[in-house]
Amino acid sequence: MIERIGASVREKASSFLYALAFFGRVIDRSLRFFRRRQVGYKVLVFQILFTGVEALLVNAVMAMAIGAAIIVIGSSLLPQFGQSRLMYDIMVIVITKELGPLLTAFIVIARSGTAIATELAGMVVGHEIEAYISVGVDPISFLVVPRVLGMVSSLVLLSIYFNLFGLLGSFLVVQLIKPIAFAEYFQSLLAALAPGDILSGMAKSLVFGVIVSTVASYQGFSVGRASTEIPVAGIKAVGQSFVLCIFADVLITLAQYA
Amino acid sequence: MKFRMRHADRIVGVFTLLAFVLLVGVLILMGANQRWFSKNYTYFAQFPTAGSVQPGTAILHKGFQVGTIRRVSLNEAGSVDAEFSIQDSYIHLMRTHSLLELVTLPLGLGSQLLLHAGRSLEPLPEESFVPTAATVEGQDLIELELVDIPPKDDTITRLLSNVNPLLEATSKTVTTLNRTLTELNRALAGQSEGPLGDIISDASAAVARLPPTLDGINEMVVEARDSAVALLDSANAIADNLETMSASFADPTGLVPKLLDPKGSLATFLDDKNALYNRVMTMLVEAERSVRSLREISASLSAEMPKLAVVLEEGKTALVSAQDVLEGLKNNPLLKGGITEREEQDSLYSSMREGAFE
Repeated sequence: MIERIGASVREKASSFLYALAFFGRVIDRSLRFFRRRQVGYKVLVFQILFTGVEALLVNAVMAMAIGAAIIVIGSSLLPQFGQSRLMYDIMVIVITKELGPLLTAFIVIARSGTAIATELAGMVVGHEIEAYISVGVDPISFLVVPRVLGMVSSLVLLSIYFNLFGLLGSFLVVQLIKPIAFAEYFQSLLAALAPGDILSGMAKSLVFGVIVSTVASYQGFSVGRASTEIPVAGIKAVGQSFVLCIFADVLITLAQYA
Repeated sequence: MKFRMRHADRIVGVFTLLAFVLLVGVLILMGANQRWFSKNYTYFAQFPTAGSVQPGTAILHKGFQVGTIRRVSLNEAGSVDAEFSIQDSYIHLMRTHSLLELVTLPLGLGSQLLLHAGRSLEPLPEESFVPTAATVEGQDLIELELVDIPPKDDTITRLLSNVNPLLEATSKTVTTLNRTLTELNRALAGQSEGPLGDIISDASAAVARLPPTLDGINEMVVEARDSAVALLDSANAIADNLETMSASFADPTGLVPKLLDPKGSLATFLDDKNALYNRVMTMLVEAERSVRSLREISASLSAEMPKLAVVLEEGKTALVSAQDVLEGLKNNPLLKGGITEREEQDSLYSSMREGAFE
């Protein structure tokens, strides 16, 4: 039993070190990406198209639903305590700083995290990675870096759209349920919004993008030879991405309010 | 090839560019709304504690944010110095006697820092000191109604804001009562130099003068009684004489001879060497003296009456204040209606004074 525990610890430590080295290499290759302007640029554009543009609709619907819910609840409940203006602060905190980046990351994990993991795992199982290496193409530079950069860019851009749809689009939804004055709403919202809130949300999105893309790529490359490992890689990528994103969110939030 | 694949570059370009344009637009609107490039005017204030006054705390006026707390620091006296800014569009609110008020919201919902504009038309120069409602200076400004304080719109806040003046009024009444009693004690002890002390001293002197006056009155009464007795004796004698004389007059045969008789009553009456006349004159002089003494006593009492009335009025006011305090304590202003409003009554002192000076 002790031997099994020891072997497990060694395996975990080895995997952790390998993941760290993988992450370091991804960062290193990402920094060189724009200088070399390789063919990977096209992969980057497609990655933004698949991860960002195609997720925009889901992102917008979710943002408007959450924003509308906050407005309806806030405008009904908070005036009873004489705190109507708190509604705008709550909207900014929930949509811009906290839930916006996290929900956007969840959408991207569900859509693109699994896609990247299974795609790369399929390439490993199909010996495509070996082919790239054999012809002198670095699979991290060509396959991982465009996906990492594309996912980070997409998450940052999606968080901007999430804010816009959540803060402004939700107003349009509320007009159908409980009309409120646009000028008052808009001015109060702009008064409650601070540049730090927007930067905080974008920083979280950037961190979540790095986490999701790196975990998905790592899990995609970690498969062996069996095709049955491909969905397992996708499941692992989703699970680990969720946990790491929440963990990172807590750390960033603690750092902000500490 | 699908449309989006053929035009992937353009779609991604629009997607990216639009996001940045919207972001920049929101930032510009935020800057305009939050007055990033507008001038703010700096002022200073002091608070007992920095618990609810932190950098960034909004300063509100009638629900609108008119300024912000910039900096707070603890000074050597133990108070918190606060530097705050007022937006240029609301600088007209910064007038002489303007006031800051830290209002604690009910249900643990924090606090609000309110700016109340002074009723003076004189603008308050930048970097001036603005008092807070918690200070003595601020209380004076509120009591003198030099500050325009709008009514609170929240029921609980309004209730709480009404409790404070009640408590302050009760405290002031108790203080006034205590001061009055102290002054009264000092006046009664002869240690006071104020008007009440003078009144008490005068009253004391008047009372001190009363025993000799009363003795004089007693003496006069005794003298008057003696004189009256003597007068009555004389009157009885005269009556007897008159009776005798009338009896003599009834007898016409003996009246003239008796009258003309050298040893008769008339001769005797006219030949008493002015004894009866002197006696009557003495009685009249003594009666005149008694009347003069009575007039002096009456004048002295009239002079002292207003002062005695003032003493009684002061005592009555003190008793009314004490009654208010006791009623306020009995009713418990936090739960009940506080001190019942009392109808004003005309002052006895003022009416007497008005009567005296008419």
